[in-house]
Amino acid sequence: MADNLNIEVAPLPRVEGHGDLVLNVKNKKIEKLIFRIPESPRFFEAMLVGRKYDESSHITSRICGICSVAHTCASIKATEKALGIKPSEQTIKLRKLIYHHENIQSNVLHVYFLAVPDFFGVGSVIPLIETYPEVVNIALRTKKMANDIMRIIGGRAVHPIRTVAGGFTKLPTEEEMIRMKEMLKLCYPDLEKSLEVLKTLDIPDFERKTEYISLSDPVDYALYDGNIKSTDGWEIDDQDYLDNISEKVVQYSTAKHCWTGGNVFMVGALARFNNNYKRLTDNAKRYADELGLKAPCHNTFMNNIAQFVEIVHSVDDSIRLIDEILEKGLDEDKAMVDIKPKAGRGVGVVEAPRGLLIHDYTYNDKGKMEKANLIIPTGMNYANMEEDMNALVPTIINKSEDEIKLACEMLIRAYDPCISCSTHFLNVKLVNK
Amino acid sequence: MAFISKDDSNKSGNAGTNVIIIGFGNKYRSDDGIGIRVIEELGKLNLLRDKNIEVIDGGTSGTDLIFLIKDCSKIVIVDAIDAGQKTGDVVSIKVNDIEEFIKKDCRSLSLHDLNLVDIFKLAKALKMIADISIIGVKPKNIGFGDKLSPEIEKKIPEIISLIKKEIGI
Repeated sequence: MADNLNIEVAPLPRVEGHGDLVLNVKNKKIEKLIFRIPESPRFFEAMLVGRKYDESSHITSRICGICSVAHTCASIKATEKALGIKPSEQTIKLRKLIYHHENIQSNVLHVYFLAVPDFFGVGSVIPLIETYPEVVNIALRTKKMANDIMRIIGGRAVHPIRTVAGGFTKLPTEEEMIRMKEMLKLCYPDLEKSLEVLKTLDIPDFERKTEYISLSDPVDYALYDGNIKSTDGWEIDDQDYLDNISEKVVQYSTAKHCWTGGNVFMVGALARFNNNYKRLTDNAKRYADELGLKAPCHNTFMNNIAQFVEIVHSVDDSIRLIDEILEKGLDEDKAMVDIKPKAGRGVGVVEAPRGLLIHDYTYNDKGKMEKANLIIPTGMNYANMEEDMNALVPTIINKSEDEIKLACEMLIRAYDPCISCSTHFLNVKLVNK
Repeated sequence: MAFISKDDSNKSGNAGTNVIIIGFGNKYRSDDGIGIRVIEELGKLNLLRDKNIEVIDGGTSGTDLIFLIKDCSKIVIVDAIDAGQKTGDVVSIKVNDIEEFIKKDCRSLSLHDLNLVDIFKLAKALKMIADISIIGVKPKNIGFGDKLSPEIEKKIPEIISLIKKEIGI
């Protein structure tokens, strides 16, 4: 191992989108470590201005194909808050149901296709087809199940069309609800098999205490709604996010970084797990126990395991939601509420698969957008990623260059960064000084 | 401008549909949205109705293509493609030729989540067999924007002609 390194990774593989990791080491000390994103989502904020309230969710759902339901729901919630709309309980339950399935399909994609190959020492999911064909087939079956449920509820598997401000333009039928429940029940044997495989993964032993921020709810494992809560002990109404979360432009990246009270923080599955462990289903808690995941956990690499535990929770909770909806019966009269445009500001906060997602809208009295602010979870995690790497690199500085490079890549991938929300390309290069 | 997409809840790509035309891309990334724009234009044509041909706006969710490959016999993908050709040139590629294109140091096909090449490799390794063609144009601008560059927009008729030829209508 050389004392000096100049690492740039370009492109960072198996991360959604494109960015740059730059790491310079001199005499075994880090001189420079930055995670650089060349563009930002400011375009969408500008594009929303002047648009009518019923266009916002359709536009923002196109920000990302992986978390289009999250952007749709954050947008709808912001609009409903601004216009004083209260959707029906049935609408909320159906939104929570579709929400679970975006979380499942996104977590499946990340855990099985993007992260697991690292732990098996292969460069992609392709070699796993030979060595672990069942894992790949489970991933595909589970993702298809989630896609099909998103299509049934949202009208499309990606960029949902029926999920709008005020409710749903079309409801699923009772037969479709029953079919979805049957599809969900078929997941359990696959989850058990996955558990056995994930138990064999050698998760790097890395700890760095940081602040974890997520939504939190007294009843639900919060994904769709809740207060904003920190492991540092504070909890605020989602409308007041600006009181505790600030954005700053950093010189080397046009994507804004986020701080809370001067601290970096982490959002995502591990943050949700740390704040809301008690709200998981008993079944999901059992999976967490068997995989050695205990709250609070300060190992970023365990974010992958938290994502898998959330898949289990989402399957369990979806069945509960379907039972509740069927018990009350689907009511067309509760599908939509009337909307009257008015001036106002509203904030919609949801848990995208990668963490807290904030849409903040101000409409004029004609229901047209005057101002929009979007904060994406990957943007919140950038500063924490850098701090993590600052902590990790000195512990592995005596390893080979390839090992250091892989460890940094794995650490960034553990966040499941969705840089496509903020930009199109991610570049990572590793070069000796 | 309409921002509302078509409901495709009855289009699962499941057995029963033999031919699928699917566009990928982000219509708010300027020319990256060419696949979606072509799909919107195809949706206006009567000639595809009653022919058991599905036309799908795939948005930016490339991984889901694997499910279509599993269930369909013929797939035509429309996307922004940088296969080493000149900006604005339209190419039509058979999926089996993709690795050959990559060897020629062509830039990757339009990236959405897993890139298309990985998906085709995955399908091949899983022994999923479908006749897949990719038709696309090299984008001029993939920065943020809701309009195609004029020189890319004018290629839409040529792309539609190639699609029709590909599916034999």
